[in-house]
Amino acid sequence: MPHTDPTVAVRGVSRRFGHRWAVRDVSLEVAPGEAVLLVGGNGAGKTTLLRVVSGLLKPNRGTVELRGAVGVVGHHTMMYEALTARENLAFYARLHGVRDRARLDVLLERMGLAHVARERIGTFSRGMLQRLAIARALLHEPEVLLLDEPLTGLDDAASRTVVDVIGELKARGAGLVIATHQLVELVGSSGRVGYMVNGRLAALEQCDGDAGNVVTRYRELADSGG
Amino acid sequence: MTRRDSALRTARLGGMITAAALLGLAGIYVRALMFTPVERTQGLAQKIFYVHAPVAWAALLAFLVTGVVSLIYLFMRDRKLDLVASSSAEVGVAFAVVMLTTGPLWGKPVWGTWWTWDARLTSTLFIFLLFVGYLVLRGALSDFDVRARFSAVMGVMALVLVPFIHVTVYWFRTLHPEPVLMKPERPSLPSAMLVTLLSSIAVFTAMYLGFLIMRYALAVLEDVREQEIVDGVP
Amino acid sequence: MAASTFSATVAIAAKDLLVERRTKTAFFSSLVFAFLVLTVIYFARDRTAVGDLDLAPGALWVAFTFAGMLGLNRAFLLERENRAIDGLRLTPATPTAVFLGKVFGNLIFIGVVELVSLPVFVLFYNVPIWRQLPVLLLVIALATVGFVAVGTLISAMVVRTRFSEVMLPVLLLPFLFPPVVAAVNLTRQIVALRPLSELSGWLSLLAGFVIIFFTLSLFLFEAILEE
Repeated sequence: MPHTDPTVAVRGVSRRFGHRWAVRDVSLEVAPGEAVLLVGGNGAGKTTLLRVVSGLLKPNRGTVELRGAVGVVGHHTMMYEALTARENLAFYARLHGVRDRARLDVLLERMGLAHVARERIGTFSRGMLQRLAIARALLHEPEVLLLDEPLTGLDDAASRTVVDVIGELKARGAGLVIATHQLVELVGSSGRVGYMVNGRLAALEQCDGDAGNVVTRYRELADSGG
Repeated sequence: MTRRDSALRTARLGGMITAAALLGLAGIYVRALMFTPVERTQGLAQKIFYVHAPVAWAALLAFLVTGVVSLIYLFMRDRKLDLVASSSAEVGVAFAVVMLTTGPLWGKPVWGTWWTWDARLTSTLFIFLLFVGYLVLRGALSDFDVRARFSAVMGVMALVLVPFIHVTVYWFRTLHPEPVLMKPERPSLPSAMLVTLLSSIAVFTAMYLGFLIMRYALAVLEDVREQEIVDGVP
Repeated sequence: MAASTFSATVAIAAKDLLVERRTKTAFFSSLVFAFLVLTVIYFARDRTAVGDLDLAPGALWVAFTFAGMLGLNRAFLLERENRAIDGLRLTPATPTAVFLGKVFGNLIFIGVVELVSLPVFVLFYNVPIWRQLPVLLLVIALATVGFVAVGTLISAMVVRTRFSEVMLPVLLLPFLFPPVVAAVNLTRQIVALRPLSELSGWLSLLAGFVIIFFTLSLFLFEAILEE
C-alpha cells in the first residue's frame, strides 16, 4: 500500500440551496482502496454531498480534501450530443492533459462501446450514455471516484462490468463514494455504508455484504428521523 | 433581539426618515411656488425643475449605490450587501420613473417637444433600462446565492457602462443647458432658486435613504418569512 | 499554467466549432437572419428622403448585432444541455480558459457570419468599402470582440434562467449601445471616404470599450461559473 492517508476527507460539510439545507454537518473519510456506499431516500442529500465532494458545489461550511484527481459520474452525461462517443472522450482527454490516445479505445472497448465509437451520442440509449459517462470519469485515472447511481439504465452484463471496474479501482488504491438504490448489485463492493437521512449522515457503519440488512438498518434510522 | 425585531426597528427608522422627507417635500413645494421667483424665459414650467433635477440626482445616487455595493458584495459575499444593492435598485427605478415623467412635462413647454435624444436624457433612459434588466434578472433566478452573485455581476458591469453610454450620447450632441451646478467658478442660478434647488436635493436624498432603509428592512423580513416556511413555522 | 490555459482554450473553442459544423442550424439561422435584416431595413424608409449610403451603416450594424445575438445564446445552451459545463469544471481547465474558449468559439462563429454578410451588404446597398477595407475590417473586428466578450458573460448568466432567449437581448443591448454607435459612426465615415484622422475619436472610444469590458468580463466570469 503506497498510501494510507485518506483519499477523501470531508469535514463538517454543510450546503444550502436557498433557505433549505440539503447537507448538514457531514464528515467522512475514505481510505485508499475503500468504497463507501451512500444510502438514502430521495432528497436525503446524497447527490448534493457528492457534488460538494467533487468540487462542483462550494460548501457553505466545512472543508473537503481530495488526495488526487477526481472522476465523477452524475445524473447527467456531461457530454455533447452532436459529437461522437470518441470525440467526446477525446475532448475531455485534452482538457485533462491525457496524451495517450490508445487509452480512449481501451476504455471504449472495456465499456462495450467500441462498435459505436464513431457514432454521435445523440442517438445513444440511456445505458450506452451511462457507460460512456463512466468511461469519461475513468479517463484520467483518478484516485477518487464519485459515482451517483452508476448502474442506472444498465443491463446485467454492463452492471457486472461496472462492478468489476469498481473492484479494479479499489485494488489500485482509489477511494470511491457510491450513491445508489441498487444495493443488491453494489453492496458486495463496499466496505462501509453511509446512511443519509434529511441531509445528515445518520450512521456510517461496516457492512456485512447483505443488502437486506442495509435496508433494515436504513428504515430504522429513517424512522427515528436520523 | 431576533432578526425580525431588528428588521422591524430598521423599518421604523426608515419610516421616520421618509416622513421627515415628505414634510420637507411639502416645504419645497411651498417655497418653490410662493417664495422663489419665476424664471424669465421658461415661466412657470420651470418649477418642475425643483422636482425633476433632485429626483434625477436621487435616482443616479441609488444606481451608484447599487453598483458600488455590488462590487463590494463580490469580495465579501455578505448577503446583507445583496439586499442593500437590490433595494437600492428598486428605489432607483421608482425615482427614475418620476424623473422620466417629469422630464417630458418640462420639455414640452420649454423645448417644444415631449422627448428629445439629448445626452443626459438618453443616458438616464439607458440607466433606467439597465436597472430594470437587473431587476428582471433577479426575478428569473430562484436560488438566492445565485441571484446575489449574478445580479452583483450585472451591477458592476452597469456601473462601468454608464460613463461609456454618457460619452457616446454626448458625442451625438446635446440640447441640455450646460451643467448649472458643477461649474468651477460660481453657480449661474439666482440664489433664491439655488437655495430651493439645493434644499430639494437634500430632501430627495433623505427620501432615498428613507425608502432604501424601509425596502431593505422589508427584504430582511421577506427572508425571515421564507426561512420560517422552509423550517415549517406556520 | 499559461500553456495549459492556452491549450484548454483552444480545445473548448475547437469543440464548439466542431459541434457547430455538425449541426449548422445556428450558423445558417444567423446568416439568413442577417440577410433578412439587411433587406427589411432597406425597404423600411422613404427612398426619396433617405439615401442608401445614409441608411447603410446602421443597417449593417443592426444586422451584425442581432444575428450575433442568435449565435451567443447557442454557446452556453450547449453546455447546459447535459450539464457539460459540470464536466468542464471537473477538468483542470480554469474559468479563464473556459471564458476565452467560449469567446474565441463565438468570435469565429460571428466573424464568419459577418464576413459572409459583408459582400451581401455591399451588393444590396451599393457601398464603396473596398478602398478603405482594412480600416472597416478593423472596426468590425474591434466592435465584434467587445460585443462577444460581454455577450459571452451575460449569456453564461441567462442560461441559468427560465427565459434565456428573452433575457439575453434585454440585458445585453444596453452594453451594445456604445460599441455599436461607435461602429456605425465609423462605418459612416469610412463609406463616405473621410480621411482616417477624423476616425480617431470614435475609434478610441471603441478600443477603450473593448479593453475595459473584455478585462472586466474575464474577471467577473469566475463568479458566474462557481456554484
